[in-house]
Amino acid sequence: MKTRRALSESAVAWLFVAPALLAIGLVVAFPLVYSLWLSFTDVNLLRATGPAVELGALRIPLFRWIGTRNYTQVLADPLYWDSLWRTLYFVGAFVAEATVVGFAMALVLNERFPGRPLLRSLLLVPWSLSRIVVGLLWVGILDFEFGALNGLLLRAGLVDSAIAFFKEGWSALNVLVSVYMWNQAPFATLLFLAGMQSISDDLYAAAEVDGAGYWRRLWYVTLPALRPIVFLVLVLATVNGFLMLDLIYVLTMGGPGYDTTTISWHGFKTSFTFFKFGPGTAILYTLTALCLLMTVVYHRLVLARFEPEG
Amino acid sequence: MTLDRRTFLGTTGLAAAAAVLGEGAWRPARADKPVNFSGWVFKPDTVKDYVDFYNRKHGGQVKYDAVPWATYHPTMETRALSGEIVDVMYCNSANRERWFDNGFIRALDDLPGMDELKKKMAPGNLESAKSRDGSKVVGLPYFTSLFILMYNEPMLQQAGIKAPARTWDELVEHCTKLKRDKVSDTPYLPNWNNSGSGTMPQFLSDSFSEGASVFDAKNHVVADQEPGVARAMERWQKVYRDGLVNPEVLTKTSSTDTHRLFWSGRYAYHTNHSYYLKTIAGEPENSKLAPKKAKMAMYPGNGQTHMFTEWYTINAKTKVLDDGWKFAKFLGGNLNGDWYVQRQWCLIAGLDNAYPEMYDHPEIIQSYDRWVDLKLLREQYKKGKTINAFKEPWFSEWDSKAIAIVHNIIRGTTTVPKGLKELAALQKSLA
Repeated sequence: MKTRRALSESAVAWLFVAPALLAIGLVVAFPLVYSLWLSFTDVNLLRATGPAVELGALRIPLFRWIGTRNYTQVLADPLYWDSLWRTLYFVGAFVAEATVVGFAMALVLNERFPGRPLLRSLLLVPWSLSRIVVGLLWVGILDFEFGALNGLLLRAGLVDSAIAFFKEGWSALNVLVSVYMWNQAPFATLLFLAGMQSISDDLYAAAEVDGAGYWRRLWYVTLPALRPIVFLVLVLATVNGFLMLDLIYVLTMGGPGYDTTTISWHGFKTSFTFFKFGPGTAILYTLTALCLLMTVVYHRLVLARFEPEG
Repeated sequence: MTLDRRTFLGTTGLAAAAAVLGEGAWRPARADKPVNFSGWVFKPDTVKDYVDFYNRKHGGQVKYDAVPWATYHPTMETRALSGEIVDVMYCNSANRERWFDNGFIRALDDLPGMDELKKKMAPGNLESAKSRDGSKVVGLPYFTSLFILMYNEPMLQQAGIKAPARTWDELVEHCTKLKRDKVSDTPYLPNWNNSGSGTMPQFLSDSFSEGASVFDAKNHVVADQEPGVARAMERWQKVYRDGLVNPEVLTKTSSTDTHRLFWSGRYAYHTNHSYYLKTIAGEPENSKLAPKKAKMAMYPGNGQTHMFTEWYTINAKTKVLDDGWKFAKFLGGNLNGDWYVQRQWCLIAGLDNAYPEMYDHPEIIQSYDRWVDLKLLREQYKKGKTINAFKEPWFSEWDSKAIAIVHNIIRGTTTVPKGLKELAALQKSLA
């Protein structure tokens, strides 16, 4: 009787979980597997008459298998490697800036001071804006011709002529890093703040009794307790950094020249401008591999020796 | 008064019959099946108005949806892959031949009235409407784009310049003087933006105006063998190096964004698609150069510029060919002798048109008079030069990747001969 009841509970559990699993399978697992498959094929969306998987009325074309040709072709292209080094710089600079600024803002907002609730609410505004809006907003601030910042600097007599932030590739790339940091750092702050508030006051009290000042408490109490949050922030920032596309679309379109072309933009252009979906997905799967690799690295560096309480 | 069942049924039956017959008598016969119509986002409310007008006036059942420009062509292909049939579709010139080669869209020559439309189309547009081998017409014109030179008349007058530049050397001379005299920081605004409608059409226009060809008769890139192209590029390097142009124009994301800079009245010269002069010179609510303070001049050099057309196409698998063709003629032709949509695009957006007779229409003459010298525009149109290379399968990718090479030439990060050789090598690698 007990066994039958247990089985029945398990069946009910599966029943409840099944719709969610089905939805995840349809919208996550299937596109993931299918796009991986596409990266090994010669895709022409207009010529899908070859082999296919038939699921009732649904026909999923498999296209012609060409092995690793897309990957070898992509990796032989100097533009891929240029874009990769640029992407690594972009991600490195963005992750560092977003983490440090996010952490610093969390430290401030964790203190008690008048206006803190309002500031905490305002903090979320940049993060809650669509990235297209963020891009347009910063064009309005930084533009050579009508940018608010240039107007301010010129009127204050701090510069003789307007600054062209997007003229050179290097400065344009760093503008992208900073704008993206402005957009994403509040989310890191939110996570750090949640982590800080879960740290027991007793730990700080004990540290104070031991004579620890502000910086020692930060180093020996706050930071170790925030390790899982640091891991989360690093992983999310890294993945977001690798995949960032929309700001490039609004601010630079990958230019001037290829100077702000990252791997995600290169993959997007290859797929959606040149209609080379095979090489396009291959490019983007190399990004997926990089994201996974970085996650493992962060896990080793940040979480390896961390043992949660209880 | 009491109403029995028989009277009620009789009365309502008569009323219903009257309604149905009345509808039939007052309205044209409705199409049997809906016609699906898709286009990229450009004034979608205007397009919706046309569609509603067509459905009302011509008894159509057209269903319209707009897809963002950036993903329009891949979206249409994905929809075809899923088995969906969109009967009438926009298609840009860079993708049209691929759609035709792959059997996605059909030729239009066998459809009733096509021969008359061919006769009415300008020769250059008709040539562009044909497939690569020249045997079939595969699209009806949506609009034509023509590159022109615009100038800021008050600024030139202020600087004592009596007439706009007729040669490129003169244009550079004017800009140098305007900068030196502090009339303008960056007097020239070329359309070097990073989109498909920016740098490369400007590159073709300036090369053509120097009497150079960019492609040979077999559509191979020969820009590296043409002194005229090299001259144009050396001039671009000079104006960029001398600070005569807005240094951020290379990262502008569209021709629309670029032309809006000219609204400010801070530039003396601007090169862009002709229809942008409509907002610059015709919209005082937006532009400081309206009404008609900005004007067009013949393109410097030999006056030739690049001209291309975008298209309405018909799905090869359409099951409503008659209705789809009727609607396509409404959009890209003269259904029932009425150029309704073609005329409306001229009136609303100043888009150039493939049918010369459009410009004889009094309403259009009156409307264009508010923002451009129509006679001069027609003269420029005659010097518009089309290319056939856009029909090659490699063109779309070449056209996009060439932008970075040309930007490197402009910025001087590569030399003119080396950059032009790269353009030719790029084409060879893609062909």
